[in-house]
This record gives sequence, structure tokens and C-alpha cells, in this order.
Amino acid sequence: MSETTIITTENLNLWYGENNAVVDVSMQIPDRRVTALIGPSGCGKSTLIRCFNRMNDLVSSCRISGRIEFHGNNIYAKDADPVEIRRKIGMVFQKPNPFPKSVYENVAYGPRIHGIKDKKRLDEIVERSLRSAALWDEVRGRMDESALGLSGGQQQRLCIARTLAVEPEVILMDEPCSALDPIATAKIEKLIDSLKQQYTVIIVTHNMQQAARVSDKTGFMYLGKLIEFGPTSQIFEHPQEDLTENYITGRFG
Amino acid sequence: MSDRQAVRRSRSEIGVRVVWFLCALFAVITIFFIFAFLFYDAYPIFEEIGVWNFLSGSVWNPTGFPPAYGIYSLIVATLLATFLAMAIAIPLGIGSAIYIAELAPYRVKAWVKPAVELLAGIPSVVFGFFGLVVLTTWIRVSFDVPTGETWLAGSILLAIMALPTIISVAEDAISSAPREYKEGSLALGATHWQTISRVLTPAALSGITAAIILGIGRAAGETMAVLMVTGNAPVIPDPIWDVLSPIRTLTGTLGIEMGEVPVGSTHYHALFGVAVVLLVITLIINFSATIILNRIKRQQAPPASTGIPRRFPLTGWMERQGIFFRAHRTPILWGLMAVVLFAFFGLTGLGIALVLYLAVRYIPGRISPRWAQRIAFSLAALCIVVVLLALGIILYDILTKGLPYISWEFLTEPPSNLGRSGGILPAIVGTMYLVMGSIAIALPIGIGAAIYLTEYTSEGRLVGIIRTATDLLNGTPSIVFGLFGFAFLVIYLSFGVSLIAGQITLALMVLPTIIRTTEEALKTVPVPVREGSLALGASKWQTIRRVVLPPSVPGILTGTILSIGRVAGETAPILFTAVVFSTRFLPSSLFEPVMALPYHLYILATNVPNATGQQYATAVVLLGIVIAFYAIAIVIRHRSSVKYRW
Repeated sequence: MSETTIITTENLNLWYGENNAVVDVSMQIPDRRVTALIGPSGCGKSTLIRCFNRMNDLVSSCRISGRIEFHGNNIYAKDADPVEIRRKIGMVFQKPNPFPKSVYENVAYGPRIHGIKDKKRLDEIVERSLRSAALWDEVRGRMDESALGLSGGQQQRLCIARTLAVEPEVILMDEPCSALDPIATAKIEKLIDSLKQQYTVIIVTHNMQQAARVSDKTGFMYLGKLIEFGPTSQIFEHPQEDLTENYITGRFG
Repeated sequence: MSDRQAVRRSRSEIGVRVVWFLCALFAVITIFFIFAFLFYDAYPIFEEIGVWNFLSGSVWNPTGFPPAYGIYSLIVATLLATFLAMAIAIPLGIGSAIYIAELAPYRVKAWVKPAVELLAGIPSVVFGFFGLVVLTTWIRVSFDVPTGETWLAGSILLAIMALPTIISVAEDAISSAPREYKEGSLALGATHWQTISRVLTPAALSGITAAIILGIGRAAGETMAVLMVTGNAPVIPDPIWDVLSPIRTLTGTLGIEMGEVPVGSTHYHALFGVAVVLLVITLIINFSATIILNRIKRQQAPPASTGIPRRFPLTGWMERQGIFFRAHRTPILWGLMAVVLFAFFGLTGLGIALVLYLAVRYIPGRISPRWAQRIAFSLAALCIVVVLLALGIILYDILTKGLPYISWEFLTEPPSNLGRSGGILPAIVGTMYLVMGSIAIALPIGIGAAIYLTEYTSEGRLVGIIRTATDLLNGTPSIVFGLFGFAFLVIYLSFGVSLIAGQITLALMVLPTIIRTTEEALKTVPVPVREGSLALGASKWQTIRRVVLPPSVPGILTGTILSIGRVAGETAPILFTAVVFSTRFLPSSLFEPVMALPYHLYILATNVPNATGQQYATAVVLLGIVIAFYAIAIVIRHRSSVKYRW
């Protein structure tokens, strides 16, 4: 199976004020694969994926140098539109964050803002997205209820469905299971596996087993640097760097 | 911990709880007393001429032969003045709130927010004074009418006065919508404006509704500014949309006539009847607001099983109407708007409704999200510019004309020649006494009640009653407090017109503000933080005192700021309870009347010709005192608000 690259970073550096949170990261993210970023807390992995759809724009003290290319275009170019980028590169957050609207309205939100008004089409998109997120059977009878009444795991899958409804190319997941129980986690992991048929997934996790289970490629980050990046089996079985090996084998972190 | 310590602690826990409970109960007792005394004094008029005749009679002429006590035109005038004021203030207020909460760069926000709060601090009598000397003149000249004292002048002032309330509360609501919502929406490729209009604003809807209601309450219950600029002719504008007609509101009537009426006469009772009607109108506003708010809350909150309680049990009928309304929301709202516009402007109004409908229906689809954002953001910026311009014009006019008359003598000497010469020292001191006394009474009770309501209760029936009472007290117009103070404190308790009567009346007036803002502040402290403290073995009160209260200080201070501003500037509640116009002496006891700055300005502006300089100078001093209070509080609040971010 040949791999094409969808996102490339070159010498990416990010500062929060004086703090260099991401240091000289260069990597190539393969298309329609699951890429995991692991590393101890505070190593910059969440900060790194928030660069991929420019969510860090919301932090005023944040400064970036280097390049991130999406399909060969620099997403930090002056004329790049963050709104357009986020439409193609969606994100699922650590804490499930459904809007205080009904289940239906949560999923329909994205298509609506992108100009779809036809009720029938919206219904289709909502159903398809919820099915893809393996949530349809659980919520089909409660479409008009508040999304805040769902369980944590359901809320997170709803957030994934909401992201799918926009039909992005890439889905960023920032520790999507850290607030969930093992059963809900297993459901999300299964879901991630099915998503890679159609989407590129980049997942940040501090659960190494999770990275090993769901990803095709894994990057290990430490103190803002990308220490090692390669096929998941290689990272976990034959790491090239001592730091990686120490982390994988549980000697720190 | 030894057993004895445990016992002592649980005893003090109970003691603390009881104290807060009593504070909360106080609000109920007050509202009961206010009702009791107003109805007691109003009853004779209803008996004498009948409720229906009183309400529907079109002539109000209590001093004529025979006297006529019909308040229909006063009711209509009150509604019209409020309606036009809101038509101006709501769009401006929400636009400004959105600008401050979401668009303003940090530096701009840092001075725009205090500026808006400052606007809230400008006393109503200063607005009235400005309206009387500047706004009415402007209206008279630019519309070429015989007098500028009109409905329009009143509504413009009311709009300006309601704006800070609307802006502050709505801005808070938008800013406190969880950051996760914003991130979630942006991550789906929504523009900033789409995020604001479709996620943040709906999430903040209950707060924005509250903001509007508070604004309406402020406008409907305002006395002094309206009284000074609306001409006070008890007529119904003809045609009904003639904004250049003079009007006389319910509040204005009370303000003008209460001081000159013999206690116990038919006219006296008729005025209490007016107060009852005014109170009922504001109660209706408040009740409908509370119902709306609760409905919104229930829609957004998790299903009832997890516990968000309803404040008022809605009957099945209302429930069904609610469902019907939600299902047909758009046509109903448009229909309503068409009817209102038709009522005001006839066929032209229908035309306007049609054009608006077509515009809303067909234009948005043709504008790209990016352009929609540009247009929306420009409008929001325009709103804040208009608001700041209003503030700027008022301050500029008063300062440039008043400062030259300020002198050491003016500040330190008593007035002479009916305020045309001499100074205003007794008024300054009197206002200080009134502020200190009323805040000293209201602050502990208010904070205690808020602590009880938010921390100790699980929404039982009693709490429902207490909270409703607070809501009602909050919507009660200041002039009604004045009447209550007069009937209860001055007459019934025989305090006479005195400092203490004024302090208590003012304290009652600001109590709900303090309770409400404190409650809001306490609620922003996340539950897990409380649980964290309780899980360490801290008692309830320890948790409240050490974990919940400190981060709430900024919010409580905001409430106190607003209260001080109101107390220092309010005229209506002290009009009949505490003040005299001109005295050479400071009060030597709590039972003597005092001079007060707002009242002094009111009398100077309306009753003393050839005192322009003294008027402006008094306005400057009044403004200066309010601004000083505000500045101190804003600085303190800013310091602590940097410390706490959840």
C-alpha cells in the first residue's frame, strides 16, 4: 500500500510568550491513516495538533514560525483562510463539548453554516453522520432532546458525528477518550478504525496502549521536540531512540 | 478532630445557616410590607370610584372641579415610553455587548467596559437635567415643534439609561458562554460571526433575556429623567405614533404630585392607586420574564431527572401553548411584528414589515459568510460608537459648563438665596450619609440572602417564594419604594422626613441588585471546586468562606458598584422620605432631614431660574462623587479578576 502525504510540517516552532512549546518539528502525516502522537503531559502534543487547524489563533500570546502544508499549501500563509482550513481539518476535543442544542441541531450545525438549508438533505446528513459515528441506534428516538443529556461517551461520539457532518478530510482528536470509561473508550477506538477508510485521523493520547491499538504511525514527543516518528509497530517494538524506548517501557513519564 | 470540636463546628454551621436564612427571609417580608402598605393606602380610591373607572377613565385631573381620577392615558404613556426606549436600546445594547465580549481588542475592552459602567453610574437626575437643557432644545429646533418636552425626549433618555444594564448583563452572559462551544464551532469551519450568532448568543440567551428585562424594568420604573423631559401633559399621543407629543407617565405623576398632596385625601389614595397599577405592570413584566427565562433554562439544561428545577409550575395549557409556539415560531413572530408595525404606522407599517421579511428571507443566502461577518461586525462596532458618543456628549456638556463654577467656596459652604449662591456642602454630606447608611444595611443582608439561596438550598417551595420575592423587589420602580418609605417609615412609624427613613428606603431599593449579582458571582464558581474542598473534610461554611467567596468578590463588587451608583444618584425614593431643598445645617441625628445632591439638582433645574452655573456645578459634583466610587471599585475588581480564571 503506497502512502500519500496530506500534511507536512517543516521546522515548526511555537511560542506561548517566551515558552517554546513546539520545537523544530518536521513530519509528514500520511493520508487516510491514523497517526498517533504520544508523550508525557506537557510535551506539546496537543499544542502541535492545534496548529494543524489553526486553533491556536485563539490564544493571543501565541507565535509560530516554520511551515505547515496541507495538500502542499501553507496554512499559515497570509492569504490562507482559517475558516476554510477548519472546515477541511476538523477537531474533536478532550472534553466532549456538544452545543447546548438538541442532538439533531448539534449535527446539523456544520452543514447549516456551510449553506445547506434543505430539510431533507439535512436529515440525510444527520443520519449518515450519526451512523458513521456509531451513535444512530442510541439516539434515533431522542433527536429533539438536549445533547447535554447524553452520557459522556455518547456526547463524544456526537462531537465526532458533528465533525463528520462537515465532511472534512482530516480529523484531529485531542485525547478524545481521556474523559471516558473503558467501554466508551473501546467504542471510540473501534470508530477511529472505521474512520480511516475515508478520513485522515491524527490523535493525541497519553495512553500508549491506545496508540498501539489504533494507529498506523506514531510520533513520540518530549519537551516540545518530535523525538521519533515512524510506523507504530516500529516505535513500540524497535524504537530507534533511547528516549522513546525509556518512555515506552515505562522508565519515565 | 475531637468530638467536642466536631460538635462546636456543627453548631456554628447551623448558626451560620440560620443567619443567612433570615437574610433571605427579609426580602420576602419586605415585599409583603410594600404590598400591604400600598394596597392599604390605595384601597379607598378603588372603593370610591371603582377599579374599572380608575383604570379606564381618560381624564386625570385630581385638582379640578369635580376632580377626575382616570389613569388610562398615564398607563398608555408609560407603555409607549418604554416601548420606544427599548426599540432604541435593545439593538444598540446587544450590538455593543457582542462587540465588547467578542470583538474588542484587549486594550479597547479594558477601557470600554468601565466606560459603559460609568454610563450606568450617571444619576437619572443628571440625565434629566441634560435632557431638559440640551436634548429638549435640540428636539424643539430640529423638528420645529413648540416644545421639546416630548415622548421622544423621554424615550431617548430612557434608552440611554437602560443601555448600561443591557450591555453589562448581556456582555457577561456572552463572555461566560463556555470556551468549548466557541472552539467546537470554529473547528467545524464556522466563521467567527456564525459562531457568535448561532452558538454563543443562543447559549447566552437566558442572560441576554435577563438583560433586556432588567432594561425594561429600569425604563418602565424610571421617574426623574422622564418627569423632567416629557412635558407631563396627561394626554394620549394623537396619532398614537406621534413621538413629538408630550406624555405623562405613571411614575411622573407620582413624582410631581406626591409631595403636594394632603395625607389621607382622595387624591392621596388615588396616587397610591397609581403606584399599585405601576407595580402590577412591572410585576407582569417580571413574571413573564421569569417564565421565559425558566423555559429557556429547561430547554438547554439536561432532562428534568437530573435536577434543574422549575421556578413556577407551568400548567399543561401553557406547556401546550409553548410547544405550539416553538413549532410555529417564525410565522408567529413575523405576524406579531406586522401587527405592531401596522398599529403604529398603518399601511406603511405593513409595507415595512413586508420589506423586512423579504430582506431577512432572501438576502442572507446571497451574502457570503465572510461578507455577513463584515457587515455584522461593522454594525456591532457602530453600536458601541453610538453608545460611547452619547456618554461623551453628556459628559462633555456637563463638564465644560460646570467646571468653571466649581470653587472651594461652592464645595464647603451652605447654599443661600435658594441655591443661586453659596455652596452645596450640606447636600454633599447628606448624600454621603445616605450612601453609607443604605449600603451598610443592604450589603450584609444581600450577601447573606444570596449565600443562602445559592449554597444552602435545593430549590424547595420556600426558596421559590424567596427568590420570587427578590425578583419582584428587583422590578419594583424606585418611586414605589419612595411611596412605601413615606407611608411606612415616615407616617406609620413616625420617623418623619429623616435621614434614617431615606437610608432604609434606599437600602430596600438596592437589596435585590446586591442579592442578584452576588448569586450570579457565586454560581460562576464551578461545583467541582466546592466538591474538592468538601472532600478534604472542610465544612460547608468553611468551603463557602475560603473557596467560594474569594473568587466571587469581583462579582459582588460589581453589584455593590451598581448599587452605590444608584443610591448616590437616586432622587425618587428620597423625594418624600429624607430630603429638604435648602438648609444651612448638617443633620445632627438620624431623625433629621438632609439635603442631597440629586434632589438639589432636581429642584435647581426645575424650580430655580437664573441658576444655570449652580445647576451645572451641582451636576459636576454629583457626577464626580459617583465616578470616584466607581473608579475605586473598578480598580479593585480588575485586580481580583486577573487572579481568578476557571
